Amino acid sequence: MPAPLLTPELLRRLEQFQLLAARRSKSAGKGERRSKARGQSVEFADYRNYVAGDDLRYLDWNLYGRLDRLFLKLYEEERELPVRIFLDASESMTFGTPVKFDFARQVAAALGYVALCGFDRVNVHVFPDVTADASGQLPSAELAARGALRAVRGRKSALAFFQNLSSLSAGGACALNEALRRGALEAKQTGLAVVLSDCLDPAGYEPGLNALVGRGFQISLLQILAPEELAPSTYGDLRLVDSESGAMQEVTFGRFRLNAYQKTVQNFIQRLREFCASRGIHFFMASSDASLEQLLLKQLRAAEIWG
Amino acid sequence: MSLLSPIALWFGLAIPVVVVFYLLKRKRVVRLVSSTLLWQKFLAETQASAPFQRLRHNWLLILQIILLILAVLALARPFFSGKVEATRLLVVVLDASASMQATDEKPSRFEKARAEALQMVDSLHGEEQMMVLLAGARTEVRQSPTSDKSALRRALQVCQVTDSSTRLNDALKTAAAFTFEKKTKPDTGGKQVETEETSGEIHLFSDGAAPSLDEFEHKALPLVYHRLGQRCANLGVVSLEVRANPENPAQRALFTSVRNAGSNEVPADIELRFENQLLEVKPISVPPTNTLPLVFFAAQPKDGVFTVRLTTPDDLPADNQASLVSLLPKTVKILLVSRGNRFLEKSLRGAGNVQLDVAALLADPATAYDIVVLDDVTPLVWPTVNTLAIHVHQTNWFDSVSRVEGPPIVDWRTGHPLLRFVTFDAVSVSETLGVKSPSWGQALVESPQTPLIVAGEISQHRLIWIGFDTLQSTWPLRVSFPIFIANAVEWLNPASATSAQLAVHVGDPFRQRVTQPGPAAQVTRPDGTVQTIALEPNAQEVVYGNTSQQGLYRLKAGTNDVTFCVNLMDPAETDITPRAELPMGKAGGVSATTLKRANLEMWRWIAALALLVLLFEWWFYHKRTV
Repeated sequence: MPAPLLTPELLRRLEQFQLLAARRSKSAGKGERRSKARGQSVEFADYRNYVAGDDLRYLDWNLYGRLDRLFLKLYEEERELPVRIFLDASESMTFGTPVKFDFARQVAAALGYVALCGFDRVNVHVFPDVTADASGQLPSAELAARGALRAVRGRKSALAFFQNLSSLSAGGACALNEALRRGALEAKQTGLAVVLSDCLDPAGYEPGLNALVGRGFQISLLQILAPEELAPSTYGDLRLVDSESGAMQEVTFGRFRLNAYQKTVQNFIQRLREFCASRGIHFFMASSDASLEQLLLKQLRAAEIWG
Repeated sequence: MSLLSPIALWFGLAIPVVVVFYLLKRKRVVRLVSSTLLWQKFLAETQASAPFQRLRHNWLLILQIILLILAVLALARPFFSGKVEATRLLVVVLDASASMQATDEKPSRFEKARAEALQMVDSLHGEEQMMVLLAGARTEVRQSPTSDKSALRRALQVCQVTDSSTRLNDALKTAAAFTFEKKTKPDTGGKQVETEETSGEIHLFSDGAAPSLDEFEHKALPLVYHRLGQRCANLGVVSLEVRANPENPAQRALFTSVRNAGSNEVPADIELRFENQLLEVKPISVPPTNTLPLVFFAAQPKDGVFTVRLTTPDDLPADNQASLVSLLPKTVKILLVSRGNRFLEKSLRGAGNVQLDVAALLADPATAYDIVVLDDVTPLVWPTVNTLAIHVHQTNWFDSVSRVEGPPIVDWRTGHPLLRFVTFDAVSVSETLGVKSPSWGQALVESPQTPLIVAGEISQHRLIWIGFDTLQSTWPLRVSFPIFIANAVEWLNPASATSAQLAVHVGDPFRQRVTQPGPAAQVTRPDGTVQTIALEPNAQEVVYGNTSQQGLYRLKAGTNDVTFCVNLMDPAETDITPRAELPMGKAGGVSATTLKRANLEMWRWIAALALLVLLFEWWFYHKRTV
């Protein structure tokens, strides 16, 4: 049995949170979120003129008495909030100490748990797609887990949700843009979208994020980098092999160039941050050895992802 | 355009070294990383994003700047200015002795010395002067002080090596005379004091096979000794003498000795020739640092020249041969003037090949005899032939004469031919004539008060003077007495004296008495050249000084026709071991140097330093990336 993704203590504290949606939910499913849809609830929304065939139970008889006209009382329908989590399971996520993918799964579990506790629907997109192994077989357990994660609802499914997350494995070349674009197209209702990735895709991240923004998602992006990527400790004449593409890069690196490298990384992060800011995306950067509690209980709360 | 030091072009070999450095492939460590995206961005940002960048503190840069500075400095050819007098004099002394002919340096030590001296001429500064001395048998000034490089080169080119022994004393004295300057300076008390200051340097090119230069012990000679020679692989004939064979009167005995100065035993062949006809060849083997005595016996039909020659080649051919003019022995006519001395008479008769007449008085110059022996008799007429005078004196022999009783014998010269095999142990003398050592001869046996035996030459006649009456001493009872008499007969014999005259040492003048020589004398040298000497109209003696070459010389002057030999026969020259130090007395000495005491240009050292920095830089660059 692998170690639990989240500690019971953390789970207990997460239960107090609720995801904050900036817009009213457009979801079709019943839930606890206010929506623009009219339906049955205790929250009065509006009046409208009676037309033949309306349910007489919603007529406002008091108003009829005063104005001698028939008005129908409308109530707000409470709907669920669809939460889409884009989880990067590419090969590059398997690096770092602790492993970046583990950190991403923990964050996904926390987000999912908060959503499930709030009667919201959680949809985890794991990308890239599973590829056949050497014998041509698709790993069925992995497929089953990914399938189960596509639509999770209700607090009682949290345990299965965690288990499925734990059983995921990472591998393959990152295709961030494609995954995000597909996710945007697939979504029937927009809602909350959380992207958990290292964003180290040679193709970039802009088209994918733009697609999500265009679809109307409320997006949060958490970039997870390994400590080794932020400050490499391997010096000398190196031939670096890309874990995803297998491309080689020769570089001579020493302590005297560490500052220059860190500056490059900060530039990269800064560009991403600026891109996100210009599109109303919540951006967070975390090293995989960062404190999970700090991120979940302080940073996300301060950014009003949940509250 | 010419290069001052073309040898520096060898530094060009450093270029391929640098190329090799760059050819060397870096060994890279393969490492799997999550993504090379960040690295690509890093490289793109750090590489030439702009033509200039902020100058950063970089040790590589500093090292390269140092390297460049050193290289430029080297190209500028800096040198020590120091305290150089306006006219500094370099005295080049070339040792032209026989050992400089050794071929262990190619082509020979002398040629190498000449080449080094020529190099010194090339490096001469504008203000410096140089003079050239050739130290052979005599010291010759080949070039007086000058800055004219072509004159100096010419002077060096015409220098020739000789067969003579090393005589550096004269050369160094001459050189010192040029390098020391007398200056008057006030001393601490304000007095004017005359001091000697050096104003130049003496550069001696030699192998150091020289006798001790004691007289320079306390003189701070500004001497730079350039040593030549590498090894000592040489055999040489160091002595040759002809005597009658004591066992066979018909034959002559040739005593010779061969010296091996090297440290290995050397086998060789030695041949004996008479008048250039081969008589005998002997295989010999000479132990290291030893002298091997040899005896040849040969019949001699006429007066002629014996030659011994080592036929095995070695480093120094000059000492492989020695010649001797041998005259046939003649009966020696001796007149003994004595009141009766049986010991003396018997000893004289025993000397061999002697015709002895005894007389009580001498009243004529005795010109019919070869030797006159005066035994405690004052003659009426002093003889005009070679004389052995016992307990007599003539007024022009000594200044004053006294009497000394019981003189102890304290010293005698064993090296003199007269005292060969003679000792004065247990000889006591009751009384002797007390004299002072005369200028015409040397004291052979001495007591503290007076010389007891003196031998020398007065008006071209040899004289042995014994100050005491032999019958008033215990000497006749000793075995040394007849040996001494035999030696005396040999020494006083005019024939042996002539033989001795006919063999001279290289560099020594040859003297020959002549009758009616005519206006000029011709000397045929060993190499066949003929030299003519102009003579005074009434000359009685021919002196020939140019004996720098060993071998047979022939002198013709009127009816006189003489062959004489010039030999090296010097163990010091045979020992061609290059000396690391020139001995100067007990305390002094000059070590061999390979460095020139001159204005040394430093650029080579700087260039070498630059090369080191380059290597260090390469190493440093590779170290810091790890």
